[in-house]
Amino acid sequence: MDNKLLGLFVVFAPLSLLSFGGGQAIVADIQYQTVSVHGYLTNAQFADLFAVSRAAPGPSTLIAALIGYQVAGFWGAIVACLGIYVPSSLLVYGIASWWQKHKTSPIKIAVERGLAPVAVGLIFAGALAVVRAALANEPNNIIVALELVTLAICCSIFYFSKIGSYTVVFATGGIFFLIHLLAF
Amino acid sequence: MAEEIEQKPADRPDGARGSAFDVLMSFLKVGGSAFGGSTQAMVFREVVDRRQWMNEEQFIIGQAIAQVLPGANPVNLALYMGLKVAGGLGAAAAVFGMVIPAFCIIMAMGFAYQELSSLPVTSFVLHGVAAAGVGATVSQGLKTTRKLPKRASTFIVGAAVFITIGLLHWPMIPVVLVAVPVSIAWAYVEAQRAA
Repeated sequence: MDNKLLGLFVVFAPLSLLSFGGGQAIVADIQYQTVSVHGYLTNAQFADLFAVSRAAPGPSTLIAALIGYQVAGFWGAIVACLGIYVPSSLLVYGIASWWQKHKTSPIKIAVERGLAPVAVGLIFAGALAVVRAALANEPNNIIVALELVTLAICCSIFYFSKIGSYTVVFATGGIFFLIHLLAF
Repeated sequence: MAEEIEQKPADRPDGARGSAFDVLMSFLKVGGSAFGGSTQAMVFREVVDRRQWMNEEQFIIGQAIAQVLPGANPVNLALYMGLKVAGGLGAAAAVFGMVIPAFCIIMAMGFAYQELSSLPVTSFVLHGVAAAGVGATVSQGLKTTRKLPKRASTFIVGAAVFITIGLLHWPMIPVVLVAVPVSIAWAYVEAQRAA
């Protein structure tokens, strides 16, 4: 195996099992490993790739694909993805299939009842974090209002209708594109 | 695009079954539209609201397990849901569907980033898309909250997690490490008392 491909796998596979709470937990370590330890990227390159990974859909750990591509081309992207997703996925597969097959017991019920409110608290905290990040550096009150109205309208659509998320997301993007063309 | 919704009776105790192909199609759609940290809400939309493969309570358990274990939340969530709906093949189909569109989009964005990021319209459109994503997240939060058992413990734990992480910006991992065992122990004690 190519040394760089092996190197990418060795960087990302252990981080896979340490990525508690998703990509945020390991971003600092990805930077340390790829910039300082292996010298695959400069700090500026890392910052650019990080920005792309935040703007793109899907898991933020897909930054691994961008780094892999930068380091070793297409196969680098594939190997980095396998490194970041396969170890944690095997673990989740094992635990999830055990959990779904296991007979109902008082402890299992308690675990399910106990986990649910924690997850709900995290949902609302996550929504607030995204709103705050989006509006933090926005000086224009009209844009702030526009985003809050969009949020409320989309929330109502999702709550009361069965329109697919794909349709809503792309329609919103298209409307914002038109608003920008017409108003700015 | 064909918007075919299979209507299945919701709230089946055993969890509804679907085919791995249906799972793949659903997650390909979710994987390509889950911008701005809204993935879980988009999966909820597809799996609970549209396909009705499971109910809110069953979904929130999967979401919690996906969150507590290491790994990217969207990938873990897809794996759990795919496994529940269509077994091992469903799990693989869901993960594949979740990752592939996002992989293609992020690679394309990586190529175009220098040009796109200098255009003001890019960040404007992304802000709009993020607002839609938050709308989906709030909607999921409301629907799930409605279905939670009406107990003081549920409300106190949910509010405590939201306040510490959302309002006070405490780091998520230590909060979850404390909240999960406390919440589980509380639920266990309550169940024993009720019995």
